[in-house]
Amino acid sequence: MSRNNWLLMLSVGVLSFALMSQGANSADSTEQINNDSCMKCHKRNGAMQGHHAQEQLKMSCSSCHGEQGNHPKKPNDLMVFSVENDMTIDTKNGVCLKCHSPKKIAQAEWTHNVHAQKVSCTSCHKLHPESDPIMGLGAKDSSNVCRNCHTVQR
Amino acid sequence: MENSRRHFLKSTCALVAGVSVYPLSRDQANADTGIRINNLKYAMLHDETKCIGCNACVEACREVNHVPEGVTRLSIEQSGPYGKYPNQYYHFSRHSCQHCEDAPCVNVCPTGAAFIDKENGIVSVNADKCVGCQYCILACPYDVRFINPVTKAADKCDFCRETNLKQDKQPACVEACPTKALVFGNLKDPESELVMLLKANPTQRTKLDLGTRPKLFRITAKQGEIIL
Ligand code: SF4
Ligand code: SF4
Ligand code: SF4
Repeated sequence: MSRNNWLLMLSVGVLSFALMSQGANSADSTEQINNDSCMKCHKRNGAMQGHHAQEQLKMSCSSCHGEQGNHPKKPNDLMVFSVENDMTIDTKNGVCLKCHSPKKIAQAEWTHNVHAQKVSCTSCHKLHPESDPIMGLGAKDSSNVCRNCHTVQR
Repeated sequence: MENSRRHFLKSTCALVAGVSVYPLSRDQANADTGIRINNLKYAMLHDETKCIGCNACVEACREVNHVPEGVTRLSIEQSGPYGKYPNQYYHFSRHSCQHCEDAPCVNVCPTGAAFIDKENGIVSVNADKCVGCQYCILACPYDVRFINPVTKAADKCDFCRETNLKQDKQPACVEACPTKALVFGNLKDPESELVMLLKANPTQRTKLDLGTRPKLFRITAKQGEIIL
């Protein structure tokens, strides 16, 4: 085997090792939040896989849902962002606005401005799945999102 | 005659508050005296106070009229935000062919490809006759014409003359609009929703001073009015 070939194989080896370890890294990156003590009971709710689960962000369930407090007894102060919940829009959105400034999100998408106090962030955004379904919608699909609420009777 | 003149005066007075007074009643007077030339003149109204800028109209037009990506027959122009967070709002206005009664695009077209449909006043393009010289694109004061990259002919809104109108449907953009901000209709039909709205609201048309007699009307948004 010529020296060149040997060098080539070595570099391929190094490269694939690098790629593999990177792959392993990204698979691991949501591990921390999914080992959160909440998950001992909440396994049935599925894993937290979204952008906010990245290890670098150092977020835990309580970063958004609040501290455990009385939970699982009722009443408790945990924040649940489902539609049936009676939290006000301002309270729900206040959680997101702790990190996301109105100015920045307005730059990303103008509709943030006009819905600021009328719609909760979670009406459009889903944080738990691996990718937020509202992100990267095509022109037609995003029009359809508007139509879901804004359609008047004919 | 006396009667129709009084009618004319009455409806004109009703419109005095309006920004533009479109001579709707003249056509009615014609009908009274039996000088019916034709009784179809299509026009469109964009109620900017209802528009939410969703672009459903743009997408529907693209689909129904097979408008390729990269070009469009209409666009919704956004301005804003106005006001202070968290009470901000935008204005939207429709940019598309105005179906001018005296259409510069038709006047300059050397081949007759750009034409006005005498039956209904729609300004349209016969793609087979178009040689792509682009005179019309330059002549149009509203900047709404483009060369269709597929047909290589000049293209623009034709009120869906070749598509939805043939099937007795409303234009695609009108059908798609979730807030009913777009109203299409016959200016010569006093009972039509379009004429009713034109009589009841102050409306505007763009670049009236050019004498093109455009037929795209708008109800302009007042401050903070978009509340949907
Ligand atoms: S708006 Fe432009 S394209 Fe439309 S009729 Fe007038 S001149 Fe022609
Ligand atoms: S009337 Fe038809 S061609 Fe004109 S903008 Fe609407 S959908 Fe497009
Ligand atoms: S579909 Fe209606 S509401 Fe949406 S942008 Fe077009 S005109 Fe405005």
